Amino acid sequence: MPEEAAGRGLAAADRYYQDYGSRARELKRQGKKILGYLCAFVPVEIITAAGFVPFRIKGDVNEPITKADTEMETIVCPLVRSCFDISLKGNYEFLDGIVIPHACDSICRTYDVWKYSLHLPYSHFINMPHGTGKPSLDFYQAVLGTFRTSLSRFAGREISDRELTQAIKLYNQNRAKVRELYGLRKASPPLISGTEVARVLIAAMSIPVEESIKMLGDVIEEVRQRGGVPARKSARIMVVGAQVDSVAFIELIENSGAWVVADDLCPGAREFFSDVTVTADPIEGIAERYLRKVKCGRTYREMKGNYEEYLEDRFGHMSRMIEDFKVDGVVLYIYKYCDPFGFEVPQIKSYIESKGTPVLYLEDEYSMSTIGRLRTRIQAFLELLGSK
Amino acid sequence: MTEEKKPEERKKRKTATEAASKIGPIVKATIGGTVRAREEGKPIAYSFICCCYDEIIRTMDIVPVWTENYAGVCGAKRDAQRFLERAEAENFSRSLCTYALCGLGFDAWREELGEMPPESPWGGQARPDMMLGSGQILCDPRNKWFQAAQRYMPDVPVYDVGLPWPPYEDDYDYREVQGYYVKYIVEELKGLVQFLEKHTGRKMDWDRLSELVDLADRTWNLIWETYELRRAVPTPMGTGDAMNTMVPIVFMMGTQEAYDFFKELNDELKHKIANKEGVIPDEKYRLIWGGGLPSWFALTDFNYFNSKGAVFPVETTYRMVEAIYNFDIDLSKITDPLEHIAWRWVKFWTYWYDRAKKRPGSHPDVERLIQYIEDYKIDGIVMHEAFSCRSWHVGLIWQLNLLKKVYRDIPSLILESDIVDISSYNEADTKARIDAFIDTLEAVKSKGR
Repeated sequence: MPEEAAGRGLAAADRYYQDYGSRARELKRQGKKILGYLCAFVPVEIITAAGFVPFRIKGDVNEPITKADTEMETIVCPLVRSCFDISLKGNYEFLDGIVIPHACDSICRTYDVWKYSLHLPYSHFINMPHGTGKPSLDFYQAVLGTFRTSLSRFAGREISDRELTQAIKLYNQNRAKVRELYGLRKASPPLISGTEVARVLIAAMSIPVEESIKMLGDVIEEVRQRGGVPARKSARIMVVGAQVDSVAFIELIENSGAWVVADDLCPGAREFFSDVTVTADPIEGIAERYLRKVKCGRTYREMKGNYEEYLEDRFGHMSRMIEDFKVDGVVLYIYKYCDPFGFEVPQIKSYIESKGTPVLYLEDEYSMSTIGRLRTRIQAFLELLGSK
Repeated sequence: MTEEKKPEERKKRKTATEAASKIGPIVKATIGGTVRAREEGKPIAYSFICCCYDEIIRTMDIVPVWTENYAGVCGAKRDAQRFLERAEAENFSRSLCTYALCGLGFDAWREELGEMPPESPWGGQARPDMMLGSGQILCDPRNKWFQAAQRYMPDVPVYDVGLPWPPYEDDYDYREVQGYYVKYIVEELKGLVQFLEKHTGRKMDWDRLSELVDLADRTWNLIWETYELRRAVPTPMGTGDAMNTMVPIVFMMGTQEAYDFFKELNDELKHKIANKEGVIPDEKYRLIWGGGLPSWFALTDFNYFNSKGAVFPVETTYRMVEAIYNFDIDLSKITDPLEHIAWRWVKFWTYWYDRAKKRPGSHPDVERLIQYIEDYKIDGIVMHEAFSCRSWHVGLIWQLNLLKKVYRDIPSLILESDIVDISSYNEADTKARIDAFIDTLEAVKSKGR
């Protein structure tokens, strides 16, 4: 049993986080096929329904990028370069394939680099549209139909609607568990730290969904039952950004004297706060969720109403979270070379500030080498919050 | 004050063709025309190149402001820094697309002043009535830039056209999916026409659109045939000039002027070939510009290559056409203009797929390089990695590696700088790298003798 080796709850999460990919490696030895993927925009429901184990490829902030530079330009987002670097170095040697979505330029423009460099038995590009209108939704359903057919060929069998619906329900359960976990952060002080939550969510990216549900349930139970009163800290912080797949940055904030109580991140609220509706044609519900419900800078949301209403449509979920989680300040944490989020910075910053919440904007390079510089900025921001 | 910085004066670059030398005045007149159009109340649209809507906006007499072009002009005039710095002050990262940063910085400044920023290059960039973005597999800034610009122009509506093309995959043929790609693009273009009709109060003249689509087809064929003339030894035209003649391809498509321009260039090249008149008298090395947009502020680098005996008979950059009659479908039978545009788009982007399938381990982008290397008798490849643009500048190293693997080892050089941001450019270093590359070419040639 996996939990015997990994422990339960937070201990299991810590172990999967520290030895990222260990469970996938075990499953591979047991004969399972593992499909690696980048970004929250790969519909993992379809991979699971096909009988494969989806495994989210993550980078390593502690590992200098060396090997990737022989195949991939340094102008690519540092997170993607790090993911590619450690893949080339053999960290994910258990992968049977890779699935890459049309997420951002750094991801989609490197699809061929991944495909031709890793030489995996399976690869697929999911050509997700940018728009969210009816033609885009219809097109995206067709794209997902192609993905389903392609995976069926690789699996050597059809993927039934029943299997898809089962997978949808499992992932919805998983998301519900994450939301329950987030509920524990609403207390003051929060019952679970941001660092712990990040560690659990990152660990969950590397294990089958059934095991993730179990692990999340155990974590929730453990946190509710553990004794002692969490320390009081000066401020409640929300972090907004792209994929943050290391606890280092969250830990930095919490070690500087604040709690991270909320986020709009991947993994995080962005990908766990919306479910797939169970529809007669399961692809329909999946398409609707990934294209319209997940609010990310990579998706172009058509303007409805005036400009203020447009900002509300795009960023309103952030201000609701600020209110629900009693957030004192927001850290906008964006990687260099990130076009989808980089172009949104002025709008997000002014939108949140217009609601009365201070924002610290930090551009970073996905490396532990920048931590010292970031610490100074965060400490100054927390002092600013404390003086208000 | 950064806003008072003056651009460094530049000498006019020497072109090989008469046609290319006419481009500067054409662009200047076009940009001046957009400013006048604004004053005259004509509908103006911020537009991107290669977005399938050229004939549509031309038919509806909407005046395009090519925002990438204006940023390129600012770059070429070495007067982009003050706009880049303005964008940075707005909290846009300097690592983002510098076309977009230049445009956003300009817009922020113009909107703040209520008039053009002081001494704006060629009269400035006119305020639009609408902005036409694009969702492609190609470029994030195309759907983020205009959305970001609404911060300064919240009253200006945006339409974002979805324009995907089928990916190149091993386990299925793109023809299995091309139908739904075309269907989607047609729907998106229909939505665009409705948007334009709503915001201009004008009705689409579908017959006129069909005429312009036909004109664009003929222009595509003519461009392809004209560029194929450059196979001649010595080549009558190089990539330096092609960075001028890209203007009718991407900024004037669907106009008679674009067709006439290439007719004139075609005649000129034939004349030069008949007289054995090359870019330089004694060609030593024939190179391909194999990827990347140029540094608009350093186009004289092409002349530096020429001074070393190197010419560029061909480039992949801005060669955004194929001969329509070489497609595997007869486009003339597709009479619906929007459907016609959609098929042309899909067939353009998948043009090299079949060829790639025939060579184990190959890829369409690499097949295109191989074909050009053979057709144009190429000795070496030069690419440019612009730090701010992931659209055209990612995958270059990989392409060179794959080329070596599936074809042969060929001398290559990747220059590093930017499209607009001159602070990324080091002239001495660039020339030193070119010199070293020329030495390599010479060494390879000597071995073959």
